[in-house]
Amino acid sequence: MSKKLLLEKAHVENIRLYDVYRREGGYKSVEKALKTMNPDSIVEEVKKSGLRGRGGAGFPAGMKWSFIAKPEGMPRHLVVNADESEPGTFKDRYLMEFIPHLLIEGMIVSSFALGSNDSYIYIRGEYAWIVDILEQAIDEAKANGWLGKNILGTGFDCNIHVQRGAGAYICGEETALIESLEGKRGNPRIKPPFPAVQGLWKRPTVVNNVETIAAVGPIINMGGDEYAKIGVGKSTGTKLISACGNINKPGVYEIDMTITVEEFIYSDEWCGGIKNGKKLKACIPGGSSVPILPANLLLKTAKGEPRYMNYESLSDGGFATGSMMGSGGFIVLDEDQCIVKNTYTLARFYRHESCGQCSPCREGTGWMEKILWKIESGKGSSSDIDLLWDIQRKIEGNTICPLGDAAAWPVAAAIRHFRDEFEWHVANPQESQIRNFGLAHYADEIHVPVIA
Amino acid sequence: MKFNEIQLKEFNRLVSRYPEGKQKSALLPVLHLAQESFGGWLSSDTMDYVAELLSITPIEVYEVATFYSMYNLKPVGKYMFEVCQTGPCMVSGSDDIIDYIKQKLNIGVGETTPDGMFTLKTVECLGACGYAPMMQMGKHYKEHLTKERVDAIIEECRKNASEIIK
Repeated sequence: MSKKLLLEKAHVENIRLYDVYRREGGYKSVEKALKTMNPDSIVEEVKKSGLRGRGGAGFPAGMKWSFIAKPEGMPRHLVVNADESEPGTFKDRYLMEFIPHLLIEGMIVSSFALGSNDSYIYIRGEYAWIVDILEQAIDEAKANGWLGKNILGTGFDCNIHVQRGAGAYICGEETALIESLEGKRGNPRIKPPFPAVQGLWKRPTVVNNVETIAAVGPIINMGGDEYAKIGVGKSTGTKLISACGNINKPGVYEIDMTITVEEFIYSDEWCGGIKNGKKLKACIPGGSSVPILPANLLLKTAKGEPRYMNYESLSDGGFATGSMMGSGGFIVLDEDQCIVKNTYTLARFYRHESCGQCSPCREGTGWMEKILWKIESGKGSSSDIDLLWDIQRKIEGNTICPLGDAAAWPVAAAIRHFRDEFEWHVANPQESQIRNFGLAHYADEIHVPVIA
Repeated sequence: MKFNEIQLKEFNRLVSRYPEGKQKSALLPVLHLAQESFGGWLSSDTMDYVAELLSITPIEVYEVATFYSMYNLKPVGKYMFEVCQTGPCMVSGSDDIIDYIKQKLNIGVGETTPDGMFTLKTVECLGACGYAPMMQMGKHYKEHLTKERVDAIIEECRKNASEIIK
């Protein structure tokens, strides 16, 4: 059994309710933090824990906190990013739906550390019923003295508000989220200034993912050093993985980042193997933006070593032969899946979600979608594959926010690893309409020359 | 067109979350409230009313209403089926579900049945990838969709609608 910190109590009956959550040891970290620690020592603990942002970028959370500017007399804000929209990702939803108090607890401690008296949860508009769950949890916390004025007699005031978005993937990008929270279109801002200096209403702001903030309670309870002992290397603590696609047991799992990808897919404790006895063809291990890997490179690195479910191992080999941990959205594709079609649906997603601000992304995402559809529907030519490659290269790195990169990477990786499947579509326009390319050689053992 | 007393109370609650002078921040939640209150969509009259309530210009409301996918800018059916079609749902059979709903309701994507009962839309990832295929209907998700489950949902909607009329 892998160690659990976030979901340990998720299956306790009625854990969603305050009384049960409190009875199970909830809100202890607030007592400890507010009564025995000061804001700087909390930041220090979070730094020591090695906690990395769980939204996708993996930036050290304690470091992010230490950047917050503290100009005299200006309010600061904590904003929790609950705009979970990366295809394949549904872990924050699970956390908020089943143990909302864990997030509220983490937010109170984090707000104290950052000096935020009004903190916000920005939740994607489609999670409408979860807004009610969170507001109920906030009301309960307030009624029991954990929120409001003069919390635990310490003089610290804090309120938490829930803001519903309205359907825009781009609002998961922190500056777009801030724009949206100000009642505007979700157009990302140019950085600098960073939100830590000029964020919400031009005030210093820290934006963190739901899972990141939920981990703060356990970190304070056990201490940063203890937390850092879980996991391996710079992948400390536990990570929620939302597993989906062609597997027997889709769902949200908490792992301690010491298990192999193979174990995660085939063990009954996790995904339970590929559905209907099929074979594994490919996997997008960290949400739709990260590079897709064929089965062989997923289970073993190019050096032939087993690949593990952690930040370092998943990115071993860079984009040439590796991928990324990303948001933990683990999408598994079986031998019957068509890579061209899958890439097409993702390209369509990014075209739909591009905010339209930067030309390479606005024009490029639509162009990629059209070409992919052309190839998928048997009307492509081999120069289209080169054109796709060229377009994605011209988007990457040339936009204000990372949506451009997020749209380019899946296309690049699909061509990099599955070029012969694209070529097969082009060479067999009729056959490709009635059958899929299949598993082909994508699970075969490979021998990539590794240059040390 | 005006919010009733209960709706106004909710409006005031939404605005109270933000600092003095930052009432524009309430625009997204207020537009949700307006859409729910005035027939499931945002007419230009509704948007002008929201602008007036928040003391902002109408264009500030239009540009937001047209940016976000959850605001309907034309009338929709009583029940809206928003079926996810992105990668993880696609590999789990969402195309078949969309085709089945089209055939069953005899409408295309983006269309409403002549009786004004159902609208079919396709949407991009709703964060329910592990419970695919799925769709959103109103405030809730309908997950693990099969043809039989779609039949049952349609049946239930028709039943609920006829009970409201009675």
